[in-house]
Amino acid sequence: MKELLLVSILLPSLAGIILLASAFADVLKKKSKKQLKAQAKKSQTPLHLFVGAILAVSAAVILYTAWSGEKSLTLFTLVDNISFRLSLDLLGSFFVTIVCIGWLAAGFYSFVYMSHEGGEKSFFGWFLMVFGVLVGLCFSGNLVTMYFFFELMTLTSMPLVLHNGSREAIMAALKYLFYSMCGAYGALFGIFFLFRYCSSLDFAAGGHLNMTLVSGHEGILLAAVFAMILGFGVKAGMLPMHAWLPTAHPVAPSPASAVLSAVIAKFGVFAIIRTVFYVVGPEFLKGTWVQYAWMTLALLTVFMGSMLAYREKVFKKRLAYSTVSQVSYVLYGLSVLTADGFTGALFHTMAHFFIKTGLFLTAGVFIFKFGYTKVEELRGLGKKMPILMWSYTFLALALIGIPPTGGFISKWYLAAGSLNSGINFFSWFGPVVLLLSALLTAGYLLPITINGFFPGGESEAEVKEEDPHLLMLLPIVILTTMAVLIGLLPNVFVDLISRITNAVLW
Amino acid sequence: MAFVQNLPFISIILSLFSGPLSSILSGKWAKRLNLAVITLIGAFSVLVLTFVLQTGEPFVYFMGHFPAPWGNEIRVGVLEAFMAVFFCVIMLLSMIGGSREREIEIEESKQNLYYIMVDLLLCSLLALIYTNDLFTAYVFVEINTISACGLIMIKQNGRTIEAATRYMIMSLLGSGMLLLGICFLYDLTGHLLMSNIKEQVQILAVTGQYHTPLFIALGLMAIGLAIKSALFPFHAWLPDAYGYSTVSSAAILSSLVSKGYIFLLVKIFYRVIGFNVVCDSKVINVLFVFGIIGMLMGSISAIKEKDIRRMIAFSSVAQIGYIYMGFGLGTEAAVVASVYHILSHAATKSLLFVAASGLTDASDGSGKFYDLTGAGYRNKIAGIAFTVGSLSMVGIPMFSGFISKLLFSQAAMGHDMKMLPTLIALAISTVLNAVYFMKTVITIYMPATGKVNMREGRVIPIKEQPVKAIALIFFIVLNILLGLSSEPVVNLIRIGLEMFD
Repeated sequence: MKELLLVSILLPSLAGIILLASAFADVLKKKSKKQLKAQAKKSQTPLHLFVGAILAVSAAVILYTAWSGEKSLTLFTLVDNISFRLSLDLLGSFFVTIVCIGWLAAGFYSFVYMSHEGGEKSFFGWFLMVFGVLVGLCFSGNLVTMYFFFELMTLTSMPLVLHNGSREAIMAALKYLFYSMCGAYGALFGIFFLFRYCSSLDFAAGGHLNMTLVSGHEGILLAAVFAMILGFGVKAGMLPMHAWLPTAHPVAPSPASAVLSAVIAKFGVFAIIRTVFYVVGPEFLKGTWVQYAWMTLALLTVFMGSMLAYREKVFKKRLAYSTVSQVSYVLYGLSVLTADGFTGALFHTMAHFFIKTGLFLTAGVFIFKFGYTKVEELRGLGKKMPILMWSYTFLALALIGIPPTGGFISKWYLAAGSLNSGINFFSWFGPVVLLLSALLTAGYLLPITINGFFPGGESEAEVKEEDPHLLMLLPIVILTTMAVLIGLLPNVFVDLISRITNAVLW
Repeated sequence: MAFVQNLPFISIILSLFSGPLSSILSGKWAKRLNLAVITLIGAFSVLVLTFVLQTGEPFVYFMGHFPAPWGNEIRVGVLEAFMAVFFCVIMLLSMIGGSREREIEIEESKQNLYYIMVDLLLCSLLALIYTNDLFTAYVFVEINTISACGLIMIKQNGRTIEAATRYMIMSLLGSGMLLLGICFLYDLTGHLLMSNIKEQVQILAVTGQYHTPLFIALGLMAIGLAIKSALFPFHAWLPDAYGYSTVSSAAILSSLVSKGYIFLLVKIFYRVIGFNVVCDSKVINVLFVFGIIGMLMGSISAIKEKDIRRMIAFSSVAQIGYIYMGFGLGTEAAVVASVYHILSHAATKSLLFVAASGLTDASDGSGKFYDLTGAGYRNKIAGIAFTVGSLSMVGIPMFSGFISKLLFSQAAMGHDMKMLPTLIALAISTVLNAVYFMKTVITIYMPATGKVNMREGRVIPIKEQPVKAIALIFFIVLNILLGLSSEPVVNLIRIGLEMFD
């Protein structure tokens, strides 16, 4: 059933295109705002049913495809021996599952949230398009196919940033586009070199450099790989190309920032994994300047991101800076090139996904309910929304890495991987930076809990409990549960991840 | 001799005589005649192409039955026939796409003059493609220049007259240098037929005689044609000429006229001088450097531009830079890439010009970005077409622009001196392209509500301009076809270049 690969990509994308076409038609009819609003109200329920059904059906199809064995499908050939090829392995299945959960959670949450932002049709249209593109990214079988979906990911996720059409949003979207294009071309630059020095661009665990061709050209090839790491690292918010992320992510509507930050940023990581572990091979990088430069950049980003988050006053921006820092934990785990580090990186990918989606959705509730965007406004909310505030607290604890949450397990593996790496300075310096950053994480997340439950000062009268709509609350609670659960029962997930690890590092 | 072998000559003569015939026709009938002639010649060229592909070798057609070295010759290989087909397709689509603008912008009494110019232009392009005689090529280069001036000037306002004058001065400078180069070669070798010159030049190159004059001749011809095809820094005439002329003129000028000269240059490299001699010379280094500077400067000027048509025109400067950079690399693969880029750029640029005219139509005729806000909603098909063209220009995979970039970088690989400059220039130019094309795409898809002082645009449904919509759809299909199934096209170019020797 290899055609299922294509079906899983096309199903959400086509649904997205249908919605966009219909949104396009609405704009053309040039109705007055009032009419549009009335129409939007009327068509809201069918729209939600349609999107909900598409999300559920495609998630089912995709998950079935992903977990029913490896398969591959070559569609056509571009030039020479570069083909457009879809194929599926464990890493792809792992990431595609994350995408599905993220889209289900953010999708159902948006049904309520987007009613106050407006422009629902175009939002859901692009939302579904990105879904399809990301699935394609997970399923792509060689570097060029992956590059294609990577570019499409940038182009289709940009309208999510653009959503409210304000000047700020346009500037943010352009910044996003500019950085992404720079990064993507850095990556393409490297692909050209790899095309020459690899036996093929298809993904194979452990990579397949053609060593006879490489000998004598190691220097230039290392530079090419570094260009690719930097290029794909743009999406992951790695220094020195991180500046777009704190601008672009918070401008989008909250469910979109959730998926941008928690899922799409991870695809920078995914692309780096594919390049380093599936095409070039980790052996080639071990002990070279590229590895050290990569480690240094990742550690710097971890620290800088946390510092900037600590100083930031706008809640969503703070979360975005936190993403910068946390995704670089993952990159650091990869850069040590040891089995434990790799396991920790993938585990943190998962943990951070659950946590950051939950956090952004929480921030969305504050905006939706009260219009609060600044951190200092978030006082005394613990009494008003106890469930939400408790789940926020758990998410924060998980991100800091307090046992027994998911963040603890991943940081444990990351530290172990670093200590075992046998690189003198970095082996102990890495964990130190990670710990320092964890402290800062506590510093920028926990005050909200404290002020939430103990606002101090004036003793207010009895406050009415008003937890948000169930469709908004439920995804957050589920994500929180998952974030804690993977820490309580880590073995299932660690086993799965170590199957991937064993394939690429031996 | 098969009948098909007559067709290239018949095509040239057909377009040559349809020009004068148009002068006694009304504008309407001249237009019909013109479209019919282009279609017919396109069909002829398809027949010729299949014939050459079947026989697998080029054929030579004697004019007036005088054998070489006295007679004039036409020589047809796979690449020549394919170029003829492609040029006809682009010209037909550009003419269809701009027909409404021509009716509005050109005076009633001058309508038929336009078609004379287009017929003559087609004739000269075909002659440039097919001829095996260097002096004939020069004659048709001049015919090409004159008719191109006419195409710019026919929409009369101060701007176009100035643009046409500038174009003419620069172009004549270029033709002058070409003529000088031909004179040098004639003096050195005593021949004007390409194949005969090549024999002699190869002997000269081996013995090392007349080294300097030979390279002066090569340099003169290369620079002359570079001026005519607007290689940086000789591009000053281009933005006005493309930006203010009527849309079909802009599309034809940017995608056919400059490409005709470039194709002639390829022929001179391969058929007159011999590619090995060209590669040994320093001339290609000059082309390489200016190509790269052009790639960057063209894009930078385009970013600064406030008008959509002029922006597209400046982007042409950058794309011409790509082609010359390919020549400058001096390998077989790089020339394949350049020729592919000729095709890909011709298909994309004419698409962009026609789409841009659709967008300005929907914005009360203004091409300023501020007024274009939301134009993608007002003219749907033009908006989509412009987006496709932009994606191709930026080099998103699955569109034609990506394939040319891939081919260029593959060709640059393993080149010790020029590899890094090429790749870095490609990288920077891609990012710059993304900046101005994506900015435009975002602008045309921003809702126009709440803008002050904006010109009132109107919605243009597809029904109002069905012809342009059809042209745009064909352009989109052509672009995606070039991007998806590039392999047969690239093979065709390879076979064609091999047949040049």
